[in-house]
Amino acid sequence: MSDNAHDISLEQAKELVALLEDGKQQQANQLLEDVYNRRNDKLFTSVGQLTRDLHEALQDFQVDPRIVQMTQDDLPDAQNRLLYVIEKTEDAANRTMDAVEACLPLADEMHQRVEKVMPAWNRLMSNDIELNEFKSLCHQVDDVLKRCGENMPQVHGLMTEVLMAQDFQDITGQVIRRVIQLVEDVEKNLIELLKIFGKEEERRKAATSTPDKKNAGVAEGPIIDADQRDDVVGGQDEVDDLLSSLGF
Amino acid sequence: MDKNMKILVVDDFSTMRRIIKNLLRDLGFTNIQEADDGNTALPMLQNGDFDFVVTDWNMPGMQGIDLLREIRKDDNLAHLPVLMVTAEAKREQIIMAAQAGVNGYIVKPFTAVTLKEKLDKIFERIS
Repeated sequence: MSDNAHDISLEQAKELVALLEDGKQQQANQLLEDVYNRRNDKLFTSVGQLTRDLHEALQDFQVDPRIVQMTQDDLPDAQNRLLYVIEKTEDAANRTMDAVEACLPLADEMHQRVEKVMPAWNRLMSNDIELNEFKSLCHQVDDVLKRCGENMPQVHGLMTEVLMAQDFQDITGQVIRRVIQLVEDVEKNLIELLKIFGKEEERRKAATSTPDKKNAGVAEGPIIDADQRDDVVGGQDEVDDLLSSLGF
Repeated sequence: MDKNMKILVVDDFSTMRRIIKNLLRDLGFTNIQEADDGNTALPMLQNGDFDFVVTDWNMPGMQGIDLLREIRKDDNLAHLPVLMVTAEAKREQIIMAAQAGVNGYIVKPFTAVTLKEKLDKIFERIS
């Protein structure tokens, strides 16, 4: 740790001793002070350098002032948006199923009424019907037509309800697109942070790594990239093949 | 196949439970109850005389695969046929379910025809 420029030298020490021996107290003090000041200069330079580095690091840290806003506002907002998507899709599914469940008995009723009329109707079509039966058939057919006239507008209304329930797609699509944008922004900023503070290798990993897909037994939810993966089945047929290969 | 058999449908999404219930009703089954995860399902199964379980895999609380294992461990329930209806499509998972003793495995999205096929197959093999 000898830095010639700043450390006290042997010559200076000898000179100091000589001055003191000669009783030149003031000059000796001056010499000591010079040596001391030179050392302090070095300390000041180092502190100055450190201060500048710190300042620059802090400046860099604020790569995007939005990063603060992202953690405070955008991420909680994104959570709310995604909850909203769940709500809207659930609502749409329920509206659709309400309408379908109201339609099914109407369809069943019409089917049953027609089935009931069919034997007598078939006899009429093959000219094999009694007058009495013909009269009662007329009433039955009249009944079917009336019920049909009543039911069909109802079915039409319910079908329109099913149609309208699909309007969630537009809204949820927009919401999800905004959340995707936010995730991209956050990712970009995190990579910037890694560039500043992280090692080269970590940065490369962050930029290229994909989620770990090899966690065999862990539930993953719907597979959205089945065609790019070899560890998942591509549909029910492949499930059946796999199970039958296991002796199922 | 006894159309009055008591069926438990286990799924954390009420809409999926409703779809499965509707499909089962279409096939003539009307005695259907629901649970939203394994933790709710297991006591229901232990206390009720269920004949058949349809379960999802990925649920908060107790997952479907663990419910299946609990059913197979329980002497009173071990015989219960279990059909898995799930979006989980990894080969390892299907093998895992088979090893745990599942009776059928349907991947979502699925059709009414698939559900009927699997039901027929399960009860054909049992009887």
